[in-house]
Amino acid sequence: MRIHLAMLRSAAWLVPGEQRAEWLAEWSAELWYVGRNCRRQATGFCLGAFRDALWLRRNRPPDAPRAPWFESPARCLASLGLVAAACVLLALRYYPPDIRLPLHGPIFAMLYMAMMALPALLATTSLRLGEVPANRHAWRWAFFAAKIALLLPIVFWGVLDLASMTGVKIHAGPIHCIVIGNVVALRWALIDQRRRCPECLRLLAHPARIGLPSQTFLEWYGTEFVCVKGHGLLHVPEIPTASFRTQSWMHLDRSWSGLFL
Amino acid sequence: MAAELKLSHTAALVLQAVHTGDGYGFSVMVLTGLPSGTVYPAMRRLERDGLVRSQWERQSIADAGQRPPRKYYKLTQAGQATLGASQRRYPLLAKLAAVEGGPS
Repeated sequence: MRIHLAMLRSAAWLVPGEQRAEWLAEWSAELWYVGRNCRRQATGFCLGAFRDALWLRRNRPPDAPRAPWFESPARCLASLGLVAAACVLLALRYYPPDIRLPLHGPIFAMLYMAMMALPALLATTSLRLGEVPANRHAWRWAFFAAKIALLLPIVFWGVLDLASMTGVKIHAGPIHCIVIGNVVALRWALIDQRRRCPECLRLLAHPARIGLPSQTFLEWYGTEFVCVKGHGLLHVPEIPTASFRTQSWMHLDRSWSGLFL
Repeated sequence: MAAELKLSHTAALVLQAVHTGDGYGFSVMVLTGLPSGTVYPAMRRLERDGLVRSQWERQSIADAGQRPPRKYYKLTQAGQATLGASQRRYPLLAKLAAVEGGPS
């Protein structure tokens, strides 16, 4: 039975933290009964735990933002700026000037790596930012561009710092790591942008599930987020349908302000 | 609103088994013949949609039987209404209703 319990404990890592203890208790108890009734079934039974754990992981309600340093646009840019500065300073300390980059100059190399990440980004992430109000376009794009401008040096210099510290040659793994890191960073920038209020650019909060998956054709099914400043509600469909292709923003006028702090 | 829910055949089968059997995961597996990787996610979906609710057995009862406590699932009112609609939709579900209990 030890191997089966180990399988359940492995699967438990897939379960969201707040549900993990109860999930493991339920499966462990059921395994006890399965083992008593038919020991041969135990392995197949435990393999099913991975599917259940994955289902819970996929279907958990999206968490409210837990990173206060990313909540407001100023804090987000300041945090990214600090990390970028630390990466560049570390690079000046650890990165020996006699090692040559694959391209002339770090700026060109950084942009080249970002371009190399684009095909993978297009394949893995939707570039749509959703339906947003027409006002304050420039403000939103400036914030998005600033995030990317800070993320690219974080990834580039961060990987080179790590490579220098661990003694890995620049022309081997680190180049691929920079491309993969850029994909992750750009993906995060897009997801983060979609989860912000289009008016104040603060992270949206208080996610609530609306509707039922079995009624997708009758009404929309997805998650609703609220701007804590009361600017509006964001509706994110779980499954894009003909009537609800992408996330949409519902503006709340000043008459709603009494409901918000 | 919940009475209008249309379940897939598998989900209806699991709902019927929760109603007919002893109300825990393994009994649903035995009654339906479905693997654990199908039964448990289906029960979680039913619970999320408010058709079943789960409750842990009291520790004292489990201790008296020298076994670990189980998590039992029970149909809600919405679940019973949906089961009735599903039985009309899938008449063969009634056959499962005739099966008595699973292993203890």
